[in-house]
Amino acid sequence: MNTTITSEVEYLPRSRRRLLVAVALAGYPVAVAALAGLKHTSLNRWLILALFLVLLLPTLIALFVGYRYARGRIDGRRARLDERDLALRQQAYALSHRVLAATLIAATAITEIYLTSGNTLRLDANTFLPAAMWVIVYLPALPSLMLAWIETDQPADA
Amino acid sequence: MPDSHRPVHNRLAVLRAERGLSRKQLADKLGINYQTIGYIERGDYNPSLELALTIAELFRLPVDAIFSLRPMTPLSEEIFREPPAGTR
Repeated sequence: MNTTITSEVEYLPRSRRRLLVAVALAGYPVAVAALAGLKHTSLNRWLILALFLVLLLPTLIALFVGYRYARGRIDGRRARLDERDLALRQQAYALSHRVLAATLIAATAITEIYLTSGNTLRLDANTFLPAAMWVIVYLPALPSLMLAWIETDQPADA
Repeated sequence: MPDSHRPVHNRLAVLRAERGLSRKQLADKLGINYQTIGYIERGDYNPSLELALTIAELFRLPVDAIFSLRPMTPLSEEIFREPPAGTR
Protein backbone atom coordinates (compact mmCIF):
# COMPACT_ATOMS: atom_id res chain seq x y z
CA MET A 1 0.00 0.00 0.00
CA ASN A 2 2.73 2.39 1.09
CA THR A 3 4.88 1.42 -1.90
CA THR A 4 1.92 1.87 -4.26
CA ILE A 5 1.28 5.41 -3.01
CA THR A 6 4.99 6.27 -3.30
CA SER A 7 5.16 4.83 -6.81
CA GLU A 8 2.04 6.71 -7.95
CA VAL A 9 3.32 9.95 -6.45
CA GLU A 10 6.76 9.40 -8.01
CA TYR A 11 5.27 9.17 -11.52
CA LEU A 12 2.84 12.08 -11.22
CA PRO A 13 3.06 14.15 -14.40
CA ARG A 14 4.50 17.64 -13.99
CA SER A 15 1.22 19.36 -14.91
CA ARG A 16 -0.56 17.59 -12.06
CA ARG A 17 2.31 18.22 -9.69
CA ARG A 18 2.25 21.93 -10.50
CA LEU A 19 -1.49 22.01 -9.85
CA LEU A 20 -0.91 20.39 -6.45
CA VAL A 21 1.82 22.91 -5.64
CA ALA A 22 -0.54 25.76 -6.55
CA VAL A 23 -3.23 24.23 -4.30
CA ALA A 24 -0.71 23.80 -1.49
CA LEU A 25 0.43 27.43 -1.75
CA ALA A 26 -3.00 29.03 -2.23
CA GLY A 27 -5.08 26.74 -0.03
CA TYR A 28 -4.01 28.01 3.38
CA PRO A 29 -4.38 31.76 2.65
CA VAL A 30 -7.80 31.06 1.08
CA ALA A 31 -8.90 29.05 4.13
CA VAL A 32 -7.68 31.78 6.52
CA ALA A 33 -9.41 34.51 4.48
CA ALA A 34 -12.63 32.46 4.43
CA LEU A 35 -12.38 31.94 8.20
CA ALA A 36 -11.90 35.68 8.76
CA GLY A 37 -14.93 36.42 6.61
CA LEU A 38 -17.15 33.75 8.18
CA LYS A 39 -16.33 34.94 11.70
CA HIS A 40 -18.43 38.04 11.09
CA THR A 41 -21.49 36.02 10.02
CA SER A 42 -24.17 34.49 12.20
CA LEU A 43 -23.12 30.95 11.22
CA ASN A 44 -22.64 28.39 13.97
CA ARG A 45 -19.05 28.29 15.27
CA TRP A 46 -18.74 24.55 14.69
CA LEU A 47 -19.98 24.92 11.12
CA ILE A 48 -17.37 27.63 10.53
CA LEU A 49 -14.68 25.34 11.94
CA ALA A 50 -15.89 22.46 9.75
CA LEU A 51 -15.84 24.69 6.65
CA PHE A 52 -12.34 25.89 7.55
CA LEU A 53 -11.11 22.32 7.90
CA VAL A 54 -12.73 21.31 4.60
CA LEU A 55 -11.00 24.24 2.90
CA LEU A 56 -7.72 23.27 4.56
CA LEU A 57 -7.91 19.61 3.55
CA PRO A 58 -6.73 20.05 -0.10
CA THR A 59 -3.74 22.04 1.20
CA LEU A 60 -2.81 19.31 3.64
CA ILE A 61 -3.15 16.62 0.95
CA ALA A 62 -1.09 18.69 -1.51
CA LEU A 63 1.60 19.29 1.13
CA PHE A 64 1.71 15.57 1.89
CA VAL A 65 2.02 14.66 -1.80
CA GLY A 66 4.76 17.27 -2.28
CA TYR A 67 6.67 15.86 0.66
CA ARG A 68 6.28 12.28 -0.60
CA TYR A 69 7.33 13.32 -4.09
CA ALA A 70 10.64 14.69 -2.80
CA ARG A 71 11.42 11.16 -1.49
CA GLY A 72 13.99 12.31 1.03
CA ARG A 73 15.93 14.30 -1.55
CA ILE A 74 15.42 17.60 0.27
CA ASP A 75 15.98 16.60 3.87
CA GLY A 76 18.75 14.15 2.94
CA ARG A 77 16.88 11.09 4.26
CA ARG A 78 17.59 9.24 1.05
CA ALA A 79 20.79 7.34 1.59
CA ARG A 80 22.32 8.05 -1.82
CA LEU A 81 21.81 11.32 -3.62
CA ASP A 82 23.51 11.35 -7.00
CA GLU A 83 24.77 14.43 -8.83
CA ARG A 84 21.38 15.07 -10.47
CA ASP A 85 19.55 14.85 -7.13
CA LEU A 86 22.03 17.29 -5.59
CA ALA A 87 21.67 19.73 -8.51
CA LEU A 88 17.87 19.51 -8.28
CA ARG A 89 17.97 20.08 -4.53
CA GLN A 90 20.12 23.16 -5.02
CA GLN A 91 17.66 24.51 -7.61
CA ALA A 92 14.70 23.75 -5.35
CA TYR A 93 16.29 25.67 -2.47
CA ALA A 94 17.13 28.61 -4.76
CA LEU A 95 13.56 28.74 -6.09
CA SER A 96 12.16 28.46 -2.54
CA HIS A 97 14.26 31.46 -1.55
CA ARG A 98 12.90 33.44 -4.50
CA VAL A 99 9.28 32.48 -3.72
CA LEU A 100 9.73 33.34 -0.05
CA ALA A 101 11.36 36.69 -0.87
CA ALA A 102 8.59 37.53 -3.38
CA THR A 103 5.89 36.60 -0.83
CA LEU A 104 7.45 38.74 1.90
CA ILE A 105 7.88 41.70 -0.47
CA ALA A 106 4.26 41.34 -1.67
CA ALA A 107 2.96 41.07 1.92
CA THR A 108 4.95 44.14 2.97
CA ALA A 109 3.75 46.11 -0.08
CA ILE A 110 0.09 45.18 0.53
CA THR A 111 0.38 46.13 4.22
CA GLU A 112 2.03 49.42 3.28
CA ILE A 113 -0.70 50.26 0.74
CA TYR A 114 -3.37 49.30 3.31
CA LEU A 115 -1.82 51.53 5.97
CA THR A 116 -1.20 54.52 3.69
CA SER A 117 -4.85 54.38 2.62
CA GLY A 118 -5.84 55.60 6.07
CA ASN A 119 -6.52 52.18 7.58
CA THR A 120 -5.09 50.94 10.82
CA LEU A 121 -3.71 47.50 11.47
CA ARG A 122 -4.13 45.89 14.86
CA LEU A 123 -1.51 43.30 15.60
CA ASP A 124 -3.18 40.69 17.77
CA ALA A 125 -3.46 36.92 17.85
CA ASN A 126 -6.01 36.98 15.00
CA THR A 127 -3.49 38.53 12.60
CA PHE A 128 -0.27 37.22 14.05
CA LEU A 129 -1.20 33.53 14.33
CA PRO A 130 -2.16 32.96 10.66
CA ALA A 131 1.07 34.66 9.56
CA ALA A 132 3.12 32.62 12.03
CA MET A 133 1.35 29.44 10.92
CA TRP A 134 2.13 30.29 7.29
CA VAL A 135 5.83 30.50 8.12
CA ILE A 136 5.73 27.31 10.23
CA VAL A 137 3.89 25.32 7.53
CA TYR A 138 5.50 26.65 4.37
CA LEU A 139 9.09 27.31 5.37
CA PRO A 140 9.96 23.62 5.74
CA ALA A 141 7.60 22.52 2.93
CA LEU A 142 8.66 25.01 0.25
CA PRO A 143 11.80 23.18 -1.00
CA SER A 144 9.85 19.92 -1.48
CA LEU A 145 7.07 21.79 -3.27
CA MET A 146 9.56 23.58 -5.50
CA LEU A 147 11.25 20.27 -6.33
CA ALA A 148 7.86 18.91 -7.39
CA TRP A 149 7.37 22.07 -9.46
CA ILE A 150 10.69 22.03 -11.36
CA GLU A 151 11.42 18.37 -12.01
CA THR A 152 10.53 17.18 -15.49
CA ASP A 153 8.44 14.03 -15.99
CA GLN A 154 10.21 10.79 -15.26
CA PRO A 155 11.29 8.81 -18.31
CA ALA A 156 9.28 5.65 -18.86
CA ASP A 157 11.01 2.57 -17.47
CA ALA A 158 13.10 0.65 -19.96
CA MET B 1 17.56 21.20 -14.69
CA PRO B 2 18.26 24.62 -16.15
CA ASP B 3 16.37 25.24 -19.40
CA SER B 4 19.23 27.34 -20.78
CA HIS B 5 21.75 24.49 -21.05
CA ARG B 6 23.14 23.56 -24.43
CA PRO B 7 21.77 20.16 -25.38
CA VAL B 8 24.25 17.33 -25.16
CA HIS B 9 23.34 14.47 -27.47
CA ASN B 10 24.23 10.93 -26.51
CA ARG B 11 24.14 7.29 -27.55
CA LEU B 12 23.59 5.95 -24.08
CA ALA B 13 20.28 4.19 -24.85
CA VAL B 14 21.76 2.45 -27.92
CA LEU B 15 24.89 1.34 -26.09
CA ARG B 16 22.90 0.15 -23.11
CA ALA B 17 20.55 -1.86 -25.33
CA GLU B 18 23.50 -3.28 -27.27
CA ARG B 19 25.07 -4.56 -24.04
CA GLY B 20 21.73 -5.82 -22.72
CA LEU B 21 21.81 -3.58 -19.66
CA SER B 22 18.73 -2.21 -17.98
CA ARG B 23 18.76 1.33 -16.64
CA LYS B 24 18.90 -0.08 -13.13
CA GLN B 25 21.90 -2.30 -13.92
CA LEU B 26 23.80 0.53 -15.57
CA ALA B 27 22.92 2.91 -12.73
CA ASP B 28 24.17 0.39 -10.16
CA LYS B 29 27.48 0.07 -12.01
CA LEU B 30 27.82 3.86 -12.07
CA GLY B 31 26.64 4.41 -8.51
CA ILE B 32 23.78 6.71 -9.48
CA ASN B 33 19.97 6.48 -9.38
CA TYR B 34 18.32 4.68 -12.28
CA GLN B 35 16.09 7.68 -13.06
CA THR B 36 19.19 9.72 -13.81
CA ILE B 37 20.07 7.34 -16.66
CA GLY B 38 16.63 7.97 -18.18
CA TYR B 39 17.02 11.72 -17.85
CA ILE B 40 20.47 11.60 -19.50
CA GLU B 41 19.17 9.41 -22.35
CA ARG B 42 16.28 11.79 -22.93
CA GLY B 43 18.65 14.78 -22.93
CA ASP B 44 16.98 16.32 -19.88
CA TYR B 45 20.13 16.16 -17.81
CA ASN B 46 23.72 16.81 -18.84
CA PRO B 47 26.05 14.60 -16.82
CA SER B 48 29.08 16.07 -15.10
CA LEU B 49 32.45 15.58 -16.75
CA GLU B 50 33.29 12.99 -14.10
CA LEU B 51 30.13 10.98 -14.80
CA ALA B 52 30.59 11.25 -18.58
CA LEU B 53 34.16 9.95 -18.26
CA THR B 54 33.02 7.13 -15.96
CA ILE B 55 30.37 6.12 -18.51
CA ALA B 56 32.96 6.20 -21.30
CA GLU B 57 35.30 4.06 -19.21
CA LEU B 58 32.54 1.57 -18.48
CA PHE B 59 31.69 1.16 -22.17
CA ARG B 60 35.40 1.27 -23.10
CA LEU B 61 34.75 3.97 -25.66
CA PRO B 62 36.07 7.50 -26.11
CA VAL B 63 33.79 10.02 -24.43
CA ASP B 64 33.01 11.72 -27.75
CA ALA B 65 31.67 8.44 -29.13
CA ILE B 66 28.96 8.61 -26.46
CA PHE B 67 28.38 12.33 -25.93
CA SER B 68 28.38 15.11 -28.49
CA LEU B 69 27.24 18.70 -28.84
CA ARG B 70 26.02 17.83 -32.35
CA PRO B 71 23.19 15.38 -33.06
CA MET B 72 24.51 11.83 -33.24
CA THR B 73 24.49 9.90 -36.48
CA PRO B 74 23.34 6.28 -36.26
CA LEU B 75 26.19 3.96 -35.24
CA SER B 76 25.61 1.69 -38.26
CA GLU B 77 26.07 4.68 -40.56
CA GLU B 78 29.39 5.50 -38.93
CA ILE B 79 30.62 1.90 -39.08
CA PHE B 80 29.82 1.44 -42.76
CA ARG B 81 30.73 4.94 -43.87
CA GLU B 82 33.01 4.97 -46.91
CA PRO B 83 36.46 6.23 -45.87
CA PRO B 84 37.52 9.47 -47.61
CA ALA B 85 39.15 8.92 -50.99
CA GLY B 86 42.88 8.23 -50.83
CA THR B 87 42.85 6.89 -47.29
CA ARG B 88 42.51 3.18 -48.21
